[in-house]
Amino acid sequence: MRDRLPVIVLIARKLLSVILTLLLASFLVFAVSEFSPGNVARKTLGPYAPQESVDLLYQKLGLKDPLVERYGRWLGILLGLRADPLQDPALKLNFVDPRGARYFGNFGYSSLYKAPVNDVIWSRLGATAMLAGIAFAIIVPLSLTLGILAGMREGGLLDRTISVFGIVATSVPEFASGVFLVALFVVLLGWLPGTSPLTTGGGWPVWSQLVLPVSVLVLYDSGYLVRMVRGAMVDVMNRPFIRTAMLKGLSFPQVVLRHGLRNAMIAPFTVILLQINFLISGVVVTELVFAYPGFGRMILDASLFGDISLIEAATLIALCVAVTTQLLGDAGYALLNPQIRLR
Amino acid sequence: MANDDHIRTLTADLEAKRVSRREFVRFAALVGMAAPAAYALAGTITGEPFAPPAAAEALPKGGTWRIGTRIKDIKSPHTFSWGEQSNVARQVVEYLTMTGDDNVTRPYLAESWDVSPDLKTWTFHIRKGVKWTKGDELTADHVIWNLKRCLDPAVGSSMIGLVKAYLLNEVTGPDGKPTTELWAPNAIEKLDDHTVRLNCKLPQVAVPEHLFHYPMSILHPDDKGVFGIGAQGTGPFELTEFDLGKRAVLKRRTGYWGGDAAIDGMEQIDIGDDPSASIAALASKQIDGLASAYPSQYDALKALTHLQYYDVKTAETGVMRMKTDTAPFNDARVRKAMRLAVDREALLQVALRGLGSVGADSHCSPVLPDYGTVAIPTRDVAAAKKLLAEAGHPDGIEADLVVPNDIDWFQPMAEASQQMWAEAGIKINLKPIPGASYWDVWTKVPFGITIWYHRPLCTMLLGLAYRTGVPWNESGWSNKEFDALLTQAEGTLDLAKRKEILAKLETIMEEDGPLVQPVFRNVFSFQDKRVKGYTAHPSNYFFGWMIGLDKA
Repeated sequence: MRDRLPVIVLIARKLLSVILTLLLASFLVFAVSEFSPGNVARKTLGPYAPQESVDLLYQKLGLKDPLVERYGRWLGILLGLRADPLQDPALKLNFVDPRGARYFGNFGYSSLYKAPVNDVIWSRLGATAMLAGIAFAIIVPLSLTLGILAGMREGGLLDRTISVFGIVATSVPEFASGVFLVALFVVLLGWLPGTSPLTTGGGWPVWSQLVLPVSVLVLYDSGYLVRMVRGAMVDVMNRPFIRTAMLKGLSFPQVVLRHGLRNAMIAPFTVILLQINFLISGVVVTELVFAYPGFGRMILDASLFGDISLIEAATLIALCVAVTTQLLGDAGYALLNPQIRLR
Repeated sequence: MANDDHIRTLTADLEAKRVSRREFVRFAALVGMAAPAAYALAGTITGEPFAPPAAAEALPKGGTWRIGTRIKDIKSPHTFSWGEQSNVARQVVEYLTMTGDDNVTRPYLAESWDVSPDLKTWTFHIRKGVKWTKGDELTADHVIWNLKRCLDPAVGSSMIGLVKAYLLNEVTGPDGKPTTELWAPNAIEKLDDHTVRLNCKLPQVAVPEHLFHYPMSILHPDDKGVFGIGAQGTGPFELTEFDLGKRAVLKRRTGYWGGDAAIDGMEQIDIGDDPSASIAALASKQIDGLASAYPSQYDALKALTHLQYYDVKTAETGVMRMKTDTAPFNDARVRKAMRLAVDREALLQVALRGLGSVGADSHCSPVLPDYGTVAIPTRDVAAAKKLLAEAGHPDGIEADLVVPNDIDWFQPMAEASQQMWAEAGIKINLKPIPGASYWDVWTKVPFGITIWYHRPLCTMLLGLAYRTGVPWNESGWSNKEFDALLTQAEGTLDLAKRKEILAKLETIMEEDGPLVQPVFRNVFSFQDKRVKGYTAHPSNYFFGWMIGLDKA
């Protein structure tokens, strides 16, 4: 048997792989942006600006430089090793960051929003985190409960009812369920507001603006999770040790709670954690349907515009969320199943 | 004072019924007669009562008007490229002139103007007693600072393209690249503290219209061209909150030269690009109205009974333009065949649900005052095939049509046209691309659909897009006879004569031009019935001072 590595080495190894992933991903985003059509300078000045002015801005923004040079510059600015050249007043771009031109974590200047990325991104991430947090807090207990109820007696009435719900909920895309819910609760009944600007100017409290987007996410996502949990539960309930537990005289609820649940949770656990990634960066459609001022809509706008600083920042943040949930997943696995240990 | 010669010519035209009252008012205002006076004069001459469109009704006071739109970057008004940007700024900063929803250009910060008989010397009298937010008075120096800043190539304003022909010279810059400069040192001239003169290289009748082009707002020089919260303005509102992509909040200010606005303020809310979001926001009364609505939203919004529908005929259109230096479109017969093969009335129904009017491939809308009447071409597949055969394509042609995906009626127009062309042996493959990307290729693709927003004069549109060599001549079309006639039209004030010239220009476009331009779109919008004073503007502009709100 191999000697166990010290924990510190394990952590260092993990960190190194995280950093490598981030570097690789951020470089890939730069490389891919090369292929996407669109000139930021043209988009900034609009279709009717004279070509000479567009060329001038293109040059000022440093877009003429080779890919590797631009990537190196971006990385240097992010790490605080060099000042952001776009803030040079001589360029007359009016780019000013109150934090200064050189600091660690400087994501640069958003060409779409004409503001430091750090001024733009965090409030939108906060808005999406709120939406995602509420949705997640409902999705997890709901789908666990339904999934377990369905999976403990395979083929029963409860199982069939819940499974049908799961299939229907997952197969209706978010834009369709969004429009359907709006038609019902906004247009027909008038109970809820149709969009979520997160301000109270329209006469609707903020909580009421969250009901529909959260519902859309819960419907879409829990349908899928319910089926995952149910599958795992069915699988476990057919295993020999469950039969043993039954035969030794435990009541059915005891069997489900003590022996079924813990074993059935291992596979869905990863899937549940993956939902966090989806809820942070995959909610574009829901945010669009409800005009929700969040992270997903911002990424969409940034991508269409070709705002590389903002796309990079969003990518890194989404990656950090993914890496964190992955680490949580690994740790959770170890807790649920003693056979799995960090190697 | 208005130029008496021009008014006399116009009055004679009106008496002889050579021009309509609307055209009379428009051109009288254009050469500097205040619009109310022009309306009054038109009424006297024809002996019929004539009500000005924006009759000062007593608007209810108070309330916040909430309007759904897109909230884009507003930092640099002189380089604005979208109407949405100017709709935030125009509540705070104003223009020298103002073109209304009736295409009549009226005095605004300029209280009147005179023009020389050769239409080359334009003298603008700046309104006295107009106070900036911080209290100093608007002067000719402020106006000149703005005009010169917009014409500085380093700023990058699209005003340059508009006025280049008559105010600028093309020169070679210190770096060897082409650039522009004022054609003469006194091109923009200060006569006194409240008088500014433009000395133009060429006659140009549309100068007042150009001064209402959305980048030409008059900013306070102390703000150095930057707009935002706390920026100075001469307008009725101040910007108090701004969150890009989310909302802009404007509050009424007191001491506005035009009298205080009726509403306390307005909130412009970003509702994104999803057409269902704006419907939902209106249904739950989160917003009182939309800056503009799309044909795909029409039915749903019509069904909401608390909303009022507003529309206006415009010259807004999508031109299916062919690059005239690229085969097969380098042959005028092929271009004519493309035009003959489409059924305009059917396209109007399919693409715009009938909410518009048909066009005759000239980009000149009958709603514009200088439009020359020509026949609308009818579909003739046999003639189209014959022309193709003559051009050496007896088996038809094949080409790609690039369709930007951000205008919802382009795709149905393209699909319907595709089928009509197919019947004439013209195989067109549709190539949809993201709307934002289209602007990188709009002057390059052999065949593409380009959105053109409303302009108040045919000569403006033709000068922008179809004169040989101008920057926005996206098709590369060049026709010497057309160029000469256009220059002649731009220097002709007599409206009857000008309309005759326009009819010739439109006919040249139909025979030789680069466009298949079957329809014009009506611009329309919906507002809550409690919104008073609103009118749909052909350029989708809105003005907070026009609005009053009944209590909810």
